[in-house]
Amino acid sequence: MGLLKHSDVYWSFIGQCTQCGYCTGACTSLTNNDITLGGIARALLAAERKASTLEELRDNIMADESLVNAVRGCFFCTSCKNTCFAHNDVCDLIYHARVDFLNLGLIPREAYSSVMVDEEWDIFTAYRAIHGIGYADLTRHRAQEGAEAATDCDVAFFPGCSLAAYGPELTREIFETIDGFSEKATMLDSCCGSSLKSAGFFERAEALCDRNAVEIEQSGAKRLVCVCPGCANDMKAALSARGLDIEVVSLSAFLSENGFTPKRPLPETPLVFSKSCQDRDGRYLEETCGALGVDPETPAIFRGCCGAGGAVSAFAPERQAAQADSKLSFVPDGATVVSMCPTCTYTYAYRLMESPRDIQSKHYAELLFENQFDWDLTFAQLGGMWCGEYGAWLAQVFA
Amino acid sequence: MTEQTVAIVGFGTAGVNAAIALRGAGYEGRIVAITRGPAVPYSPILTSYYAGGQKSFEECFPWTAEEIDCLNVDIIEHCEVDSIDVNARCLRTSRGDFAYDKCLIATGSDPVTRGFPQVEGFEPLTLRSMEDAERLKRVAEDPACKRVLVSGASMVALKTLEACVLRGLEVTLVGMMPHVLDMNALPVAAERFERGLSNMGVALKLGTTIASVEVISDAEGFEGRRLEVTFANGDVERFDHISVAHGMRSNLGFIPQGALEIDRALLVDPYMRTSDPHVYAAGDVAQALELISGERSIVGIWKNAAVQGACAGRAIVYELASREIPESFAYVGSISTNTIVVGDLLFISAGTIKLTDARRVEVREDDDMLVAHIYEGSRLVGFNLVCDNTSARGVAYDTGGMLTIRIIGGLAGARP
Repeated sequence: MGLLKHSDVYWSFIGQCTQCGYCTGACTSLTNNDITLGGIARALLAAERKASTLEELRDNIMADESLVNAVRGCFFCTSCKNTCFAHNDVCDLIYHARVDFLNLGLIPREAYSSVMVDEEWDIFTAYRAIHGIGYADLTRHRAQEGAEAATDCDVAFFPGCSLAAYGPELTREIFETIDGFSEKATMLDSCCGSSLKSAGFFERAEALCDRNAVEIEQSGAKRLVCVCPGCANDMKAALSARGLDIEVVSLSAFLSENGFTPKRPLPETPLVFSKSCQDRDGRYLEETCGALGVDPETPAIFRGCCGAGGAVSAFAPERQAAQADSKLSFVPDGATVVSMCPTCTYTYAYRLMESPRDIQSKHYAELLFENQFDWDLTFAQLGGMWCGEYGAWLAQVFA
Repeated sequence: MTEQTVAIVGFGTAGVNAAIALRGAGYEGRIVAITRGPAVPYSPILTSYYAGGQKSFEECFPWTAEEIDCLNVDIIEHCEVDSIDVNARCLRTSRGDFAYDKCLIATGSDPVTRGFPQVEGFEPLTLRSMEDAERLKRVAEDPACKRVLVSGASMVALKTLEACVLRGLEVTLVGMMPHVLDMNALPVAAERFERGLSNMGVALKLGTTIASVEVISDAEGFEGRRLEVTFANGDVERFDHISVAHGMRSNLGFIPQGALEIDRALLVDPYMRTSDPHVYAAGDVAQALELISGERSIVGIWKNAAVQGACAGRAIVYELASREIPESFAYVGSISTNTIVVGDLLFISAGTIKLTDARRVEVREDDDMLVAHIYEGSRLVGFNLVCDNTSARGVAYDTGGMLTIRIIGGLAGARP
């Protein structure tokens, strides 16, 4: 083994990359840095070859600005993979590069301290604690005061951290609906670990997902209902790795198969759907259109990352903003942008607050249910957390 | 203990990936690669970009000399293997014999010109090697060369056509089948692709072949001559040059009859082992698992060569150490995937286009894009996508990726 922990991954990647350069044209990060995916692997190995100590390796990598920017500026949207005729696995490459960067001390850990979602406190749990948002009554598979852990649940609901933190009423309404369509439902209010993976804490992310899988198994659930395609992907992988026969279904598919009727009419404004980059095979969007009663062939759709992927905001917040703006440029004024992942909804809402336009940012669940996100309130509360009575505590926890 | 030797015959995509896998798995013995090409291999995929002027010569080499050096391979370049003696575990070459403990055959494939009439004093262009690309480039750059005939309508023929279009040549494509891309495209997709070719000025002569070629002296023609082509349908036209791509053929000529089990190529097991336990095969010479049919076939694409080479390399390390090869090292199989861009025309396909009673086609077409889906029951088993590359680029690639994942997802779901 060389100085890089994952040089085998880079070797394997350059073996499979023709250096045709198509990926570069598909990605703003690669274009801005004039590098291909294979070029990233090649540059890492070249930096390793020229170094005899870890310090030299660090210096060699840091001297290659394109390499650093490309590794840290990746949204994990897989546009490049779609363009690659060999379908080379970009996420695998960048994840491992970030792990190596972390090991070499090239990524300051404090940049990600608020999204270490496997620790007691992260931005979501802190927000929920400060604002009294809890789901002890819905997490039936966990022992509660006066109630034993349920092991006879048939369905588990996985809202994901953004929905559970910023849409508590919506979360409860969805749970009640799922519960009504099942024998006994339970809810997991933890995270799928995507932010850990983005930061380069790959093993911790997998361990977190595995803990979720164990919880689901213990609950007895045979189906896991996910709101977000990213959570669904990660949980599918974790359940499969454990050899568990638990089906992962999208909320939309679950609702449709149970004859659910949307609780509110569709907005009269034009709808523009944001196909999540995590929705790799497009089924989430298709199933959501089905649940909303929209022909999947007719609505306006734009694709690609909202800017929240890959923890890029911790490295280059202006890139996140630019990415969100580039996606919102597909949305005409007066329209509603409908996203599949609550974090995308958050990101677009935040960008529209910073740079107002006559566009609504809605999660598809908001078009199906009564309760809505209140982004004005959420952003005010998120901002206020740092200077109010909890400010000092937060600053210490996330130092 | 004598040092073990792994011999790699052919040092292209599969061979390099085998060497990477061997070293990556900790193999410290000798690796000898015997290749008729250069020590640092080029990518056959990029040759048309070079001929078309999109890539420089240097950009056609996916690996640097320094990277190849890291693999510590004894490379016998520009050397043909005359034969393999599987009993003696030896490769016979003009530069002597090379003994091996394990051998990987990764000799790739060459374009076929079968069916093209013999013409005295004229050698048609082909496109595979850098030498081929160099020749095509020289021809295309020569101002005296204005009209080129491309014979064949496969992916390789279209890559040649792409290079000629990029060079601004007047191109005619002749193919014996009624449509282009008959191995990859449904007629409905091929027709749209053909309309796109016609719109960019490519003349199509489909359903016919070249019957004869006569070299006519012409001082104003390319190299002082013109080629008068008589087609099977009776048409007669003159061209400055002709490129021929009538399919590909695996390079297996050095294997004595009966030495290894061959169907259309070398039949391999999930660890890329041939019928001889010490000989492996990968890439265009290997007939390995194709997932949709469930049968062994040649899926001659770059990615497969790379993955199969790596798979063979890992397996060899275990076998040399007399250890059981982990099941996770097995080749998982592949589906056919193809992408080609000609001018502003993009074609993406994956899976199969073979229609059976159990399969149906659904076509969605608008001004921007045509997508033909091939279903077996509710399972997607193939698709064709044709569009204008500029107007639909992002959507097209996303759709192509999405549908490819659906095909593979359907396969995974169908397995126990």
